[in-house]
Amino acid sequence: MNPGPTTPAFSRRQFLRDGLRLSAVAGAAGLAGAMAGRTQAQTTVWQIDPAKCVRCGNCATKCVLEQSAVKCVHAFDICGYCQLCTGYFEPEPNELTTAAENQQCPTAAIKRTFVEDPYYEYEIDENLCIGCAKCVEGCTRFGNGSLYLQIRHDRCLNCNECAIARTCPGDAFRRVPVTHPYLLKTDTH
Amino acid sequence: MSTPSENSGFSRRRFVERLARGSVVAGAAAVARGALQAAETNPFAYDVGPLAKTDPAWVNWHEVKRWSVGGRAPRRLAFGPGDVLHVAAESQVLRFNREGAALPPLATTGAVTCVAVAGDGTVYASLRDHLEVFAPGGGRSAAWESPGPRTWISSLALGHGGLWAADSGARVILRYDLGGKLLGRIGAREPGRNVPGLVVPSPFLDVKVHPDGLLRVNNPGRHRFEAYTADGECEGTWGAPTAAIKGFCGCCNPIALAVLPDGRMVTCEKGLPRVKVYDAAGELAGVVAGTESFPANMKAGGAPGRGGLDAAVDSAGRVHVLDRVTATVHVFAPGKAGA
Repeated sequence: MNPGPTTPAFSRRQFLRDGLRLSAVAGAAGLAGAMAGRTQAQTTVWQIDPAKCVRCGNCATKCVLEQSAVKCVHAFDICGYCQLCTGYFEPEPNELTTAAENQQCPTAAIKRTFVEDPYYEYEIDENLCIGCAKCVEGCTRFGNGSLYLQIRHDRCLNCNECAIARTCPGDAFRRVPVTHPYLLKTDTH
Repeated sequence: MSTPSENSGFSRRRFVERLARGSVVAGAAAVARGALQAAETNPFAYDVGPLAKTDPAWVNWHEVKRWSVGGRAPRRLAFGPGDVLHVAAESQVLRFNREGAALPPLATTGAVTCVAVAGDGTVYASLRDHLEVFAPGGGRSAAWESPGPRTWISSLALGHGGLWAADSGARVILRYDLGGKLLGRIGAREPGRNVPGLVVPSPFLDVKVHPDGLLRVNNPGRHRFEAYTADGECEGTWGAPTAAIKGFCGCCNPIALAVLPDGRMVTCEKGLPRVKVYDAAGELAGVVAGTESFPANMKAGGAPGRGGLDAAVDSAGRVHVLDRVTATVHVFAPGKAGA
C-alpha cells in the first residue's frame, strides 16, 4: 500500500518564510553596515563661516545640485525686526509694501509679517531660497547681519571637493565636525 | 652611418623648443582664464554703487588732518577741556591733545562703549551696563550701579545739571544726577504724551544736549531725530528714510550726532558711511564727508561690530570723525577743499 505523499521535513512555505526573514536580516545588516561606514568616513562636513563670507553669489551658481544646498538662515535673536528691512527691500524701494518691485529677493523667498508697529518679522522659505546672498549683503551692509548663509545638510551631498569651496573668494568654506555641522551666529555686538 | 638624433627625427633642441612654446601657450591660457574669472560679475549683486556716490556740489567741508588712535576697537569720541579728545576704545579711554599726540590713557575695568567729559575734567566712561567715573587727576573715583539687565549704554551727554545715558538695550534715555543716582527715563513709548518710542535695532542710540536746551536723540528705526525736554516731552522730529543724500539710508540710521557751535547738527550714517550737517529745521546744509572718505568702512558694512562712525566737534567748530573700522580720526574744517 502506498502510504501517500509524506510531509517533507522542510516545506516550500517554510522555505519561503525563512528566505524572507533571512533577506530582511541581511538587508538590515547591510544598511547598518553602510550607515556605520558612512558615519566613519564622514567625520566632517562642509560649512560656511559667516564671518568670512563675502556674499559673492557663487553659492547660487557653483553648487553641483540643481538648486544649491546653501540657504539663507535667519538669526531671530539678532534681527532688529525693522520696518525697512534692507535684506527684504531694494536699496531704494518705491514704498514699504510686499509688491514684487520692492523686494530684492529674486525668488521672493522671504516672507514679511507684521508684528506690531513698527516691527515686522522676516522668515526664509528654504524651498525658494537659492543661496544668492543678496539679502545677506543688504542685511550685513545696513543692518545687524542676522541673515547669513549656511549649507543645509539635508540637501548637501558633502562632495569630497566642494564645487563652491573651490571658487569661494572669501575662503569661507571649511570642514567642521559632523557633530557640530552649523556655524551659527549668536551675538550682535 | 647616421647619428642617433637623425634616427629619431626629433632632436633635443626641437624638443626643448616645443616645450618652451607649450609652456608659453599654457601660461597665457591660465592668465586668460584667471582674467575671465575675475571679470565674472555677480548676477545677484546688491548694488549700492550709484547711491554711494556723493555729489561734489553738496560737499562743503574738507579734511585737514587725520591720525590713528591706535586702539583696536574704538567706539565713541568726546571732547574735554582744552580740546582734549577722549576716545572709548576697548578697556581704555584714550586721550589726545589738539595736535593728535597721545596723552596718558585711563584704564577701565571692562570694554568702554562711550565717554563724556565734564567742564572740570571729570571723565564719565560707560561700560556696557554701568558707568565708571574718573576724577580730573585721572584716578577712578566711583562706579555706578547698573540700571537693569537689558542695559547697553551707547552714548553719554552732560547737561541740565546731570548726565544723560542712551540705553540702546532698554531703548530709553537714562537721567542721572552727577552722584550716580538714577532720576528717571525718557523716550519710552507713551502715545498720550506724543512720544512714539525709540526703535533701536542695534546699539547706536545717541544723545546730545543742544544749545537750545532740548535733548537731541536719534531714533534710528524711524530714520529721524527727536527733540525732548528734560521731562521727556517730545517737542519735534525731523528726518526721512531714503538713500538719497538728503535723508538717512538703510534700515537704521542715523547712528550718531554732534552739535556745532551755531546749533546745526552733524549726523553720521552706517552702511553708506557719510557725515552731513543739517540746520535746526532739519534741512540738509552740506556734506562733511561722503562714502569716498571711508573706503574701508564702506567695504566692511554697518553691522554692529563691523563698521560705524562717530563725530565730535571741538571749540573751533571742526568736526572730528572716528572711523571705527580703521581706528582713525579724520578732522574736517568748513569750506571746500582748495578754496
